[in-house]
Amino acid sequence: MYDRPSLTELLDAVRVHLEHQVVPAVKPDPRLYFHTLVAINLLKIAERELQYRDAHLQTAWQRLNDLEANEKALPSDAQEALDTLALRSDRLCQDIRAGVYDAEARRRALFKHLLLSTREQLEVASPRFLQTVQQEETGN
Amino acid sequence: MTDTLEDFRQRLSDYLTEASGTPATITQAAPLAGGASRDMWLIETNVGGEALKLVLRRDLPTTMLDDALSREQEFRLMQAAYDAGIRVARPRWLCMDISILGAPFFLMDYVDGIGIGRKVVQMPELAEARAALPAQMAAQLAKIHQLDYAAHDLNFLFAPADGLTPVQEVIAQAHAVLEALNVKHPAFEFALRWAEQNAPPSERTTLIHGDFRIGNLLVNAQGLAAVADWEFAHIGDPLEELGYCCMRDWRFGMGHLRLGGIGDREPFLHAYEQFAGVRVDRKAVDYWEFLGNVRWGIICLAQANRHLSGRDPSVELASLGRRSAEMQYEMLRLIEQMGI
Repeated sequence: MYDRPSLTELLDAVRVHLEHQVVPAVKPDPRLYFHTLVAINLLKIAERELQYRDAHLQTAWQRLNDLEANEKALPSDAQEALDTLALRSDRLCQDIRAGVYDAEARRRALFKHLLLSTREQLEVASPRFLQTVQQEETGN
Repeated sequence: MTDTLEDFRQRLSDYLTEASGTPATITQAAPLAGGASRDMWLIETNVGGEALKLVLRRDLPTTMLDDALSREQEFRLMQAAYDAGIRVARPRWLCMDISILGAPFFLMDYVDGIGIGRKVVQMPELAEARAALPAQMAAQLAKIHQLDYAAHDLNFLFAPADGLTPVQEVIAQAHAVLEALNVKHPAFEFALRWAEQNAPPSERTTLIHGDFRIGNLLVNAQGLAAVADWEFAHIGDPLEELGYCCMRDWRFGMGHLRLGGIGDREPFLHAYEQFAGVRVDRKAVDYWEFLGNVRWGIICLAQANRHLSGRDPSVELASLGRRSAEMQYEMLRLIEQMGI
């Protein structure tokens, strides 16, 4: 549909430009330098999100199915799938608040879902943080 | 609100001449690097023949959080802390007249020291300071928590609402922020419910600094030179503060050293017990470290919203939205350690 560069390649081109051309040029201005590094990091997050999003959508959906003991099919349209997942997440919040997950077995099942969801968030947002904490845990 | 530097210096020297009652000249005025919510200047001045090195702290139109202290309140609190013998820069002059520099400001003595957490944790030449810091931090915290805030005129300090314990107040605020952001977030929802159901009792309600971590201390070769950044001070459970300075986000790559990346937690807590003359429930400190992560994780979302709403466009604020997951992971890990 679109000519290259692809979406991933566009982001990559901008990031490499920032890293190689802009960063050295703004080094004398500490604030601008810092903000440029932050911007590069955000592009990396965006690149990882493109890479992982479909897989994470599938696993999050499946975990909610397991938690709620049903077998809803993941909508084939990507936007619809994301919107529906957000709705299921809102519903989960209501259930937590209503005490649906207070009993121990359900609470533990919920906890597992939340921990895995947070790990997936970190795989996109901050893989180095995740790796450091996990290394520390296995080191103990 | 920033005029030319020449204007700034002129207005400031006029102000100092009047405030001090002796001729004052500004020999140097330079902005200091600070966080997103601060406007700070290093001022070198001659007041009545005495050379003074000062720091000017000025209100900004946008504050980081709505419950942060104004410069006037911060000045009065620092004055009380200074009088109580707490290591804090000596506050000198407070100016509420916005016609001088466009916003209220105050001047305090300059304290030589490093206020960047990462450097304090990592610089080889600060090894001795790091060894001294845990006991010094404990001593200052004990003094802060003992300050008789009722005896000073500090009733502007935020305190738990009537009928709420300090824990309940923090939880209520967290829910309120999520609601204001219109964020429905299962991990925070669960953490806040767990927090409600596992809250330890609060034995003391005291003044707390509210943002006591390595990056808000000025550190020199001997260790703690001054406690800075008092704008989040409030009335609460002092154990909140002991848990807060142990949060992972302030460890700067030294994750195994729970006290701010510089030391183990136990010697610090033990020193605090000696200075404060109280026994500290370790499990309650675990709990407050957990709740600190919940709170900071939610504030990250609120900070990102300042950017997203168009109120305060900033790539740095935007990035905090995705940083929140780090605090979420930490809060879940701490729940797991304490017992799901």
